[in-house]
Amino acid sequence: MTALLELEGVHAGYGPTSVLHGVSLTVPEGGAVSLLGANGAGKTTTLRAITGGVHWSGDIRFGGRSLRRMHTEDIVSRGIAHVPEGRGICTELTVDENLRLGAHMRRDGAELRKDYDRVFAYFPVLKERRHLSASTLSGGEQQMLALARALLMKPRLMLLDEPSLGLAPMVVRAIFEIIRTINRESKVAVLLVEQSARIALDLSSHAYVLEVGRVAVEGDSDELKGNESVRRSYLGY
Amino acid sequence: MQEFLQLVVSGLAAGGIFASLALALVLIYNAMGLVNFAQGEMAMFATFIAYALISRGMSFWIAFPVTLVLAFGGGIAIQRIVIRPVERAPVLTLVIITLGLATLVNGVAGFLFGYVPRPFESPFSSDTVGVLGVFISYRDLGVIGVSGVVLLLVYLLLQHTTVGLTMRAAAHHPEASRLLGVHVSWMLALGWGLAAAVGAVSGIMVAPVLLLEPNMMQAIIIYAFAAAVLGGIESPLGAVVGGLIVGVTVNLAGVYVPFVGGDLQLAVGLAIIVAVLIIRPNGLFGRASVRRV
Amino acid sequence: MSSVLRQRIRNAPPRYALVAIVVLLLAGLPTVISSFLTSEWAQALILAIAIMGLNILVGYSGQLSLGHGAFMALGAYISAILAHKYKMDYLVTIPIAGVLTGGIGFLFGIPALRLSALYLALATFALAVVTPSLIKRPKEWTGGPQGLLLVQPDPPQPAKDAFAAITGTAMTTDQWIYYITLFCALLLFWLAWNLLRFRPGRAMRAIRDGEVAAAASGINVAGYKTLAFGISAFYAGIAGSLFGLATGFISPDTFPVSLSIQLLVGVVVGGLASIPGPLLGAIFAYFLPIESNQWVPSQSWIPSQIASTVEKAGPAVSYGVILIVIMIFARNGIVGLVESGYRMLQRRLRGAGDRETGQMPSGPQTV
Ligand SMILES: Nc1ncnc2c1ncn2[C@@H]1O[C@H](COP(=O)(O)OP(=O)(O)OP(=O)(O)O)[C@@H](O)[C@H]1O
Ligand SMILES: [Mg+2]
Repeated sequence: MTALLELEGVHAGYGPTSVLHGVSLTVPEGGAVSLLGANGAGKTTTLRAITGGVHWSGDIRFGGRSLRRMHTEDIVSRGIAHVPEGRGICTELTVDENLRLGAHMRRDGAELRKDYDRVFAYFPVLKERRHLSASTLSGGEQQMLALARALLMKPRLMLLDEPSLGLAPMVVRAIFEIIRTINRESKVAVLLVEQSARIALDLSSHAYVLEVGRVAVEGDSDELKGNESVRRSYLGY
Repeated sequence: MQEFLQLVVSGLAAGGIFASLALALVLIYNAMGLVNFAQGEMAMFATFIAYALISRGMSFWIAFPVTLVLAFGGGIAIQRIVIRPVERAPVLTLVIITLGLATLVNGVAGFLFGYVPRPFESPFSSDTVGVLGVFISYRDLGVIGVSGVVLLLVYLLLQHTTVGLTMRAAAHHPEASRLLGVHVSWMLALGWGLAAAVGAVSGIMVAPVLLLEPNMMQAIIIYAFAAAVLGGIESPLGAVVGGLIVGVTVNLAGVYVPFVGGDLQLAVGLAIIVAVLIIRPNGLFGRASVRRV
Repeated sequence: MSSVLRQRIRNAPPRYALVAIVVLLLAGLPTVISSFLTSEWAQALILAIAIMGLNILVGYSGQLSLGHGAFMALGAYISAILAHKYKMDYLVTIPIAGVLTGGIGFLFGIPALRLSALYLALATFALAVVTPSLIKRPKEWTGGPQGLLLVQPDPPQPAKDAFAAITGTAMTTDQWIYYITLFCALLLFWLAWNLLRFRPGRAMRAIRDGEVAAAASGINVAGYKTLAFGISAFYAGIAGSLFGLATGFISPDTFPVSLSIQLLVGVVVGGLASIPGPLLGAIFAYFLPIESNQWVPSQSWIPSQIASTVEKAGPAVSYGVILIVIMIFARNGIVGLVESGYRMLQRRLRGAGDRETGQMPSGPQTV
């Protein structure tokens, strides 16, 4: 499999505080990769670097082309859907408007309609609530909306920042099931940031563990799951 | 009673003018949490452009849209050149900059066109039509009609087009919108352009009443502030309703409240601003939680 | 001289010496310039007082008033009415005007507490626009649109003698008024300096930089914010009162919106939250339009028609450009520029220098 996303020795930070100290990782075409680590390890910052939300040095390539000095808007229009920490739902808008916002760059009408159908098949609740304000949705429903909106961008890669955050275990399982389906059926690559390592490792085939801005461990998800000492010291379960 | 109704109608015409300028203020407030103190002066400048076009023989109904397009471009240019470098600066900085802009535009207009008030021909006849015993001038009807159409167009643009959707998203959730591929900075520029065009309507509508000169909008902007604040500064609908209420109130107060009379009408605008800010800072239609205080 | 002392002097900023030089220069000014120019400098000093007041409000407490011209008008009319109607000695009315205006400003500060920075700016701007028409209404007090003529005081004999001894000419009324103004300005700047470097100043700056944090550290936020309003209005009131004295005539048109904008220009140009800033800002904001108005007509290559327009439009254009340029490129004004230049020099010379500097109030973030 060829690499879709490559980070090579990425340094990044906020003003004077540097957060990432040379992170390298790879997401293969259509692959599913988890990025794990404790609070403050730099997971969110890594995703932000990819979509140009923080200044970085080193190199980030997507589909073989460097993202250096590109604006967020142009990066995402190349096929990266970033569901940020906190989901980034526009609560001033309706559910439908949020979805249209995800699709606003698309010009392929027929395809788009199919994607809408698919999204509503994944998340029937969104179809029911189409005309309600997004602020009336529950946390789980908002996460679904964020995923649906990301899908409508027709991405080649999805960056998901803690989709399980604040959700009941049942809901988390349902959402991860859908992420898995999206990854398998639509061949959308996924870079998944998670606190709860277990569910992330179940989904991904490869995983990286960040520790204070550096990759401390990396390997196949199954291997990491099986490795007692890694589990103890980095994954906390 | 008849006089009362007559005053209400002419108040509504004035209100339509205030509403356009208030809507312009709301558009920029929504885009960047800022009250644009230069909005009135920008409208005045646009009106001078319309005047220049008309006095070179262009008909009003061609000069009008041409001016709006030019104002739109001017608004975008101002955002790109003056506002963008300080987009993320504290509100105080931005307020001072728009105030500087107001002063600058005022001075440039004075420099280019002088301070002698000029009559501005109204496109509507000054005849009146009697409806149920109330005499309504075609001018008032025309102003109400033009303002109504403009406000409707803005509503349609914002609520029913993709550009409008991205503009609203960029205004309320810049970070999230950027991740969805919205060019936030350009949306802000569009907001400035749109505001400039909408504001220009108020200038062109008010010029036949007030005579055209660089300080023409100084009072109008106060009424527009009152309208925007009364409507809840982030609500476009509120700006319109607020504009109409302010227009009618000021008109009635000028005649029926002896203390106010003709020369303290502006103070009524101030009183409305102060009263709303103290009693109900979110206005009629504003959300209870004020973002970005 | 002991080495410790020498060390101290070397480390101390050249502040005290500088202040002494400035005071001497200002005191000596009327002996070398014409009586007419002296009266212009008096007006610049008056502006400096009002700007100092505005600076306390904007620069230190972070509340933006675009209507300080209204407080100046209030002070001016209080003095004028007391002197005109009640035949009080004008000099006695100056502190009265200051205190009354300050009290009203304090009361103003109470509702202002409830307003966000933006709304406060908006409301005060509206006040500035409405002020002239508000003044016109109570005709029997304010003289309506015609305004009030004021009697300017003659210099007292000792002052006359002293001045004559130095310059050889008799002291004019304008020169006497200049000295009154200078006295008030020095007193008020000294007061501000004392106020701002101790507790109240620190508290206000803390509030400006973050109300929640300030309240958490036990600062009485509401109290200090209203206090700032009161003090600021007090300064504006005195300035207004002196303004009437200096011009001998006030009318509603003496206090247009552009006066409030001139004050803002002065604050911004001089540098927010600094003590020398208002003086520099005032000199700049006062003399810029005057000088340019003298320069433009004197240039023969400028057609007279254009020259007369420039005279009217010039101040607006230049104030506008200055506000914008300074806010974009040098938010701490002249003082900020000088300070950063000085610090750079210091760092070059000693490789050290992390003294606190006047910062632009970090108001609420827009993003
Ligand atoms: N906007 C910011 N400004 C300054 N520092 C920040 C900012 N955002 C994050 N940081 C700092 O950067 C470091 C890494 O933060 P980051 O959000 O990337 O961690 P994370 O791994 O996503 O943690 P979490 O699991 O809590 O989300 C932290 O120390 C944090 O304090
Ligand atoms: Mg995170």
